[in-house]
Amino acid sequence: MHRHGFSFYLKEKIVIRMFMLFLILFTSAAFSEEENIVNVYSWATDLPNEVVQAFEKETGIKVNRSGYGSNEEMYAKLRAVGTSSYDVIEPTSYYVARMASEGMLESLDVTKLSNYKNLTPSFLKPPYDPSGTHGIPYFWGLTGIFVNRKYFPDAKITGWADLWKPEYKGKLLILDDPRELFSAALILLGYSPNDSDLKQVQAAYERLTQLLPNIKLFNSSAVVSIVGDEDATIGMIWNYNFREAAAYNKNLEFIFPKEGFVMWVDNFAIPKGAKHLENAYRFLNFILRPDIAKIMSVNNQEAITNKPGRALLPASMRDDPVIYPPEDVLKRGIYQTDISDAALAAYAADWELLKLQ
Amino acid sequence: MRASRHSLLRNFWLLGVYAFLYFPILVVVFYSFNDTKFSLVWQGATLNWYTTLWQDSNLWLALLHSLILGFFASLVAVIIGSFAAMNLYWYRFRGRQLLYGLIFILIVTPDLVLGISLLILFSLVGLDLGFWSLLLAHVTFCIPFVVITVYSRLVDFDSHLFEAARDLGASEVTIFRKVMFPLALPAIIVGLLLSFTLSIDDVVVSYFVAGPEYEILPLKIFSMAKLGVRPELNALCSVVFVITVCIVMASHFILRKKS
Repeated sequence: MHRHGFSFYLKEKIVIRMFMLFLILFTSAAFSEEENIVNVYSWATDLPNEVVQAFEKETGIKVNRSGYGSNEEMYAKLRAVGTSSYDVIEPTSYYVARMASEGMLESLDVTKLSNYKNLTPSFLKPPYDPSGTHGIPYFWGLTGIFVNRKYFPDAKITGWADLWKPEYKGKLLILDDPRELFSAALILLGYSPNDSDLKQVQAAYERLTQLLPNIKLFNSSAVVSIVGDEDATIGMIWNYNFREAAAYNKNLEFIFPKEGFVMWVDNFAIPKGAKHLENAYRFLNFILRPDIAKIMSVNNQEAITNKPGRALLPASMRDDPVIYPPEDVLKRGIYQTDISDAALAAYAADWELLKLQ
Repeated sequence: MRASRHSLLRNFWLLGVYAFLYFPILVVVFYSFNDTKFSLVWQGATLNWYTTLWQDSNLWLALLHSLILGFFASLVAVIIGSFAAMNLYWYRFRGRQLLYGLIFILIVTPDLVLGISLLILFSLVGLDLGFWSLLLAHVTFCIPFVVITVYSRLVDFDSHLFEAARDLGASEVTIFRKVMFPLALPAIIVGLLLSFTLSIDDVVVSYFVAGPEYEILPLKIFSMAKLGVRPELNALCSVVFVITVCIVMASHFILRKKS
């Protein structure tokens, strides 16, 4: 009995000592950390270790990384904790518009960025950021149509309208993203995907109900394996996903819809009141360097706006017409901008209805 | 004859239950060896994804953060929760049942509510989001589970044990240390492991109270999975699964040795 009590005492002491030790280790780690940091909140897979390590080594600034899986997730987090918690974020085009209009983004002084000149001029001052001071366009891509020629060797597909053809009954892969699908329908009807007109949204919805019999599945997170493994043989796809699927399935063809298509741009931006503003600028200037842009592009398999960066890419990527389409095709591209909350709510409600049917 | 037929049925039933529970995990383990970045069709075995994972310092850092957080959260929750449970059991006072009921309410409260209210609280008091806010949040949602595990174990005991100790002249502190604590120890350990597990895989509450300087694994996996499951994630999940199995086996072994 006595021994038991003794061993209990001993254990208790050890536990308490361990606890104190950890506590000391922790507080010291937490407070000795000098404030030379930059808090980067980017798309979860967009920032390769190589880039972060190179930046830390070169500048001595520690990068705290966190990631998100959707613009909504990032936006909600910033709304909840306040924009000053992060120093660099990576919103997509239409979220740049939304966050800028809500005063959540710093106005950038591009003269502080010596590598800003590397950007392709056509991407500067886009419709979603007319002043060109809220975001730095970085990655870009577009939404098109893929078809597997093993299953449809002679099918003539030129635009969105073809997806409605009865021969594709139960075949289509549709991106699990209301805005993408409605954009396709709106473009097909001759409207702008950036209009908030509810009548047009309603018309698009009616057109989409006719598409339902052709839809096999909705997905946007496993598109590469679905398309590459031939679980779906025709449908909507983002061009960089297409590139990854086409790398192991040679039967795939990409089509730039003749009616037009949506183009998105992931921008790097500084949220309002960022605590490490100078470090944020240094980080932005660093990733605008051609060699770094090249690493980022290869990691993501996405097109970059960085002109000399593109030149450094392996030829198979630099000259891939799906990733960097020719000028005449690009003319049909439409930048996504923000739409009204009412229109977004209509999208969401119609989306639920579509999925129920 | 009847007995054997029954046992056959029972075995099949159990097999079904276990297949249902473990099949998804086995699929992940299976795919972590698949020699292709995207395809879900078997393309041959490889250890590539484990090598990639090994070199991904960012994922390891997140895992380390999660383990440290889980360790402290469960430890603090167990200390606070066990004392609370013993208190509730030992002292008779008005409103005791009400207090116990309030613990249950915390268990059924949606994580969303807890997450948002903690976030509002932290911003009111000006606590920077990071390790400490996560620790406080995790301790908060772990405590009720500890209290309930420990309390229900104490209730199961013959209360005469404690009365006997008192009759023999033991002080309250002695009763607590030599009778109540050893009896409740298995429940305390269960509470500890339960808290650790809860802390390690919490997404909802953590989403609200996590800050830029302390990224934890479940949040990272959650965001990465939305952009498509990568094979190194499968490998990571397999590793975490194996670690969990080891911990469970170890704790089982320790507990059996004790009794």
